Amino acid sequence: MPARSFLHELNPLTKVAWSLAVITVAFAFQQPLPLLGLWASVLVVALAGGILKTILPAIRGLIIFAGIFILFQIFLIGEGNTVFTLIPGLGFGRVTDVGLTACTMLALRMLAMTSTIPVILATTPPKEMIVAFVEKLRVPYVYALMLVTSLRFIPTLQEELHLIVQAQRARAYDLESRNIFRRLAGIVPLALPLLLVSVQRARTMAISMETRGFGAGPRTSLRTSTFSALDAGVIAACLLCTLALVLIALR
Amino acid sequence: MMEPIIKIENFTFYYPDSQAAALAGINLAIRPGEFVGLTGPTGAGKTTLTLALNGIIPNFQGGRLAGRVTVAGRDTATTPCARLAGIIGSVFQDPEAQLVAETVEDELAFGLENLAVPREEMRARITMALEMVAITGLRHRPLSQLSGGQKQKVAIAAAAALQPRILVLDEPTSELDPRSSLEIVNLLQRFNRDYGMTIILIEQKVSLLAPLVPRMVCLHQGRIVADAAPRQVLNQDQLVAELGLEIPPVTTLFRLLRRAGAYHGDLPLEVDQGCRELERLLGPAGTGAFPCRRQ
Repeated sequence: MPARSFLHELNPLTKVAWSLAVITVAFAFQQPLPLLGLWASVLVVALAGGILKTILPAIRGLIIFAGIFILFQIFLIGEGNTVFTLIPGLGFGRVTDVGLTACTMLALRMLAMTSTIPVILATTPPKEMIVAFVEKLRVPYVYALMLVTSLRFIPTLQEELHLIVQAQRARAYDLESRNIFRRLAGIVPLALPLLLVSVQRARTMAISMETRGFGAGPRTSLRTSTFSALDAGVIAACLLCTLALVLIALR
Repeated sequence: MMEPIIKIENFTFYYPDSQAAALAGINLAIRPGEFVGLTGPTGAGKTTLTLALNGIIPNFQGGRLAGRVTVAGRDTATTPCARLAGIIGSVFQDPEAQLVAETVEDELAFGLENLAVPREEMRARITMALEMVAITGLRHRPLSQLSGGQKQKVAIAAAAALQPRILVLDEPTSELDPRSSLEIVNLLQRFNRDYGMTIILIEQKVSLLAPLVPRMVCLHQGRIVADAAPRQVLNQDQLVAELGLEIPPVTTLFRLLRRAGAYHGDLPLEVDQGCRELERLLGPAGTGAFPCRRQ
């Protein structure tokens, strides 16, 4: 994490509080425009933290997901005036103005809520997250560690998968068949070795942890989780904004 | 004579669902400050033996066992692994899987945190361990950016931070290039010499091990088949052949000379020794039958 910004300095829990505030506001509003504004505010926060570029792939993925979400929903809402029909002769695929608004609203709500997650992940070292959760929220250490360790293993597994793919290719295994069924069946010879390797790895890690006193009893921590004046300010601002916006929305 | 720090008495171990003994009737005593090399072919029981030393067997890995393993006066069967952690440090083969944290500092802190070391002391111990392994510059680096050799050094530093009296290393160089392997091995020698740490190094590459350790233990099919100075072990032609030990090339040369009846002395383990022996056989370097000059 090379870029340091005010976002990086904040306590992880402050960022979680911000995320919760965004979620609350997202549920308060029922119109697409304020939700678009809310989503924009999340992206502005990312921009201010200098991580917009880093999280762009994640945001793009969320947008695609929202698009699929709209496609599935839009034809199911029959109320309101017809805007257009996909196949006019059969009356199939009718899209109404109510449906269009409702789907856009839902998609934007989802986008605003979920976009906070990559912002938090990109600005918080997992270790800080563990410490904050264990110290401030009293989450058992084992659960926090489990979560973070699984995150740490993702790049290792990617590397491993790459190796297995190479090995299978070297033995003339066809991974790029055009037939979708053969392609799906082709996953098995990749997944099986990956699973076995992961189990082996997990075992080694467990042994390595045992030999370094894991589970010896009460533990100390190198880092500590602190709330600064900035954290207090951000949390207060989030509370105030949430309250104000919810009042406006319900008026 | 000092009381042994590690005592293995008649230790036999079967993995679950296995008919063959992974270890059979092992007797071994290691005194404080010894540097012992443990070698043998794959499947000889080397790893099983290390797991018995750090208490993973029988606390974590079950199986049928007989006999006793005592480390610094504690029976490993009745002492929890976590208790042994401050006494015996372990380093494993896979540099990737044995590291749990994200940065070097956090990795070293992991064991200290587990043993509830106070924060200030923790910082001091991390600094010291990094200095011991000479990787102070890596302190704040993410582990994902390190090379295999560096990761293995971090694993050693993480074990050293707990200030154990014994360090057991299970083929720590098997996934490293020759240069990093040599660095690791030199590091261990320094640990042994400067800090009096008892070291047990499992290593297949006998050419790396032989010049390094004063005592070499060979395992074969779960039994100790040799326990002596490396030179004496490598003197046993039949044993070397049977175990398929990969011995230093210079040693091979002198074994061939001896078989041909041209050499009768001790087998050299290092090139320098070999050169001296050759000079004695053929006259000083740069003359007569031995024209090449030693650098």
